[in-house]
Amino acid sequence: MSSEINAAGKPFIHHHSAHCETGATTALFRDKGLEVSEPMIFGIGSGIFFGHLPFVKLVGLPVTTYRYLAGTIFRKSARRLGGKFVTQRFHNAQKGMEELRRVLKTGQIVGLTTNIYWLSYIPNRYRFQFNGHNIIILHEIENGFRVSDPVLENPVDCLTGDLERARFAKGPLQPRGFMYYPKYINLQPDFRTACLEGIKDACKAMLEIPLLFFGVRGIRYLAKRTIKSGEKMGFIEACRQLANIVRMQEEVGTGGAGFRYMYAAFLEEAAELFGSSELADLSKEMTAIGDIWREFAVVSARIIKQRDQSENTFAKAGGLMMICAGREEQLFKDLNDVVRKLKA
Amino acid sequence: MKVKEVPQDIPYSESVKRACYALNDQGKYVIVASTGWNTEDVVNGLAVAELAAQLEETRKAVLAGLKSPLCYHMERRQMNPKILAGTAGIATFRTKRHFHPEIFSKLKPSILERYAKALAVTPEELKTVPKSSEEDK
Repeated sequence: MSSEINAAGKPFIHHHSAHCETGATTALFRDKGLEVSEPMIFGIGSGIFFGHLPFVKLVGLPVTTYRYLAGTIFRKSARRLGGKFVTQRFHNAQKGMEELRRVLKTGQIVGLTTNIYWLSYIPNRYRFQFNGHNIIILHEIENGFRVSDPVLENPVDCLTGDLERARFAKGPLQPRGFMYYPKYINLQPDFRTACLEGIKDACKAMLEIPLLFFGVRGIRYLAKRTIKSGEKMGFIEACRQLANIVRMQEEVGTGGAGFRYMYAAFLEEAAELFGSSELADLSKEMTAIGDIWREFAVVSARIIKQRDQSENTFAKAGGLMMICAGREEQLFKDLNDVVRKLKA
Repeated sequence: MKVKEVPQDIPYSESVKRACYALNDQGKYVIVASTGWNTEDVVNGLAVAELAAQLEETRKAVLAGLKSPLCYHMERRQMNPKILAGTAGIATFRTKRHFHPEIFSKLKPSILERYAKALAVTPEELKTVPKSSEEDK
């Protein structure tokens, strides 16, 4: 936590967040005076998800995602909490930068979607071509901008050139200078209704999408693939794929286990809000599931490092994932039942 | 995950700590800054090493006259032909042709300028690759 001021001299408190999109959304809500926590936004925006897309490739490897599409958490949470946001995209980079400066001068902080590769303040090992990193711009400084990046501990400076490149990078999901800021925020939102809506939506996404690649089905599908991958693809290729799954889980936007813990934190808050012991129990179960995801990561790393090869096998890694699938399925089913009994 | 279990494995990492949600002694979730996790380091190291190896291979191919420097600089920026072409405003099939050294050497300065801008290098840099692999780090 550290304090900063925006262009109009209003104080802004930077919070260290676990994930960029929820962090940025939370910062915008807080800036307008609505106290809301990051897990709350994550839960209301139905951020939790799973998807494995074997035919969509990023750097030549299949995509695994542990949360919903970039941008949806922000949209859903804004809608459910009754906030109106201004969102803009640009064809012309020049115009995009001018509009950003204009809004900043009015004293409004702005959320941006950027390409993480071109943000030079991020250490090299985390930089790769990914067009979905969300940051908050506080005000303009000499040849640059003051940036509150939710995943960093403290605000940083970013050069104008870098920011322009990051905003107008090309490639999959190109941001086209996407910027957003609140026009109006409901300061007495109905948290209970919003929570219920968020939870129901999340249950639906995890349990009811009738495709092999999403939700609990997706976890099972990937688990089966992982178990067979050793024989099917050869050790090296299987390791590459496994490393990529873990990398997506732990590295890219806090990933799988991190999201499971954040959802557990949300359920804990919701339990207090509703005074429901059932939700509190489900929060504990979610924490336990997060721990298994972490164990999966540990086993995977051992496979890759070739430690105790008799014990750390692809079957074991896939098996752990299978356990996650089973327990998550039960959890979301229970959650669905609990939520339908609760009244807003 | 308990607060005590939040990984603090990489004490001298590049000063970036990430926020993790963990349970405190009262069983409530709090944010804890983590310096990094060995497991994560293993998989990330694998990905970084793979990119570096690929880049080094391309660098040698350029020096051997098999590929154009454009290909090296593209890979250095972790781009693929489609992203590069999009950023420079040039058709993808043309960009792919420009990976041939003989075609690349005949490019007009205006085209080189666009590539240089897209890759954030100077036009002079764009025509060469580092002589040794360490130079690029």
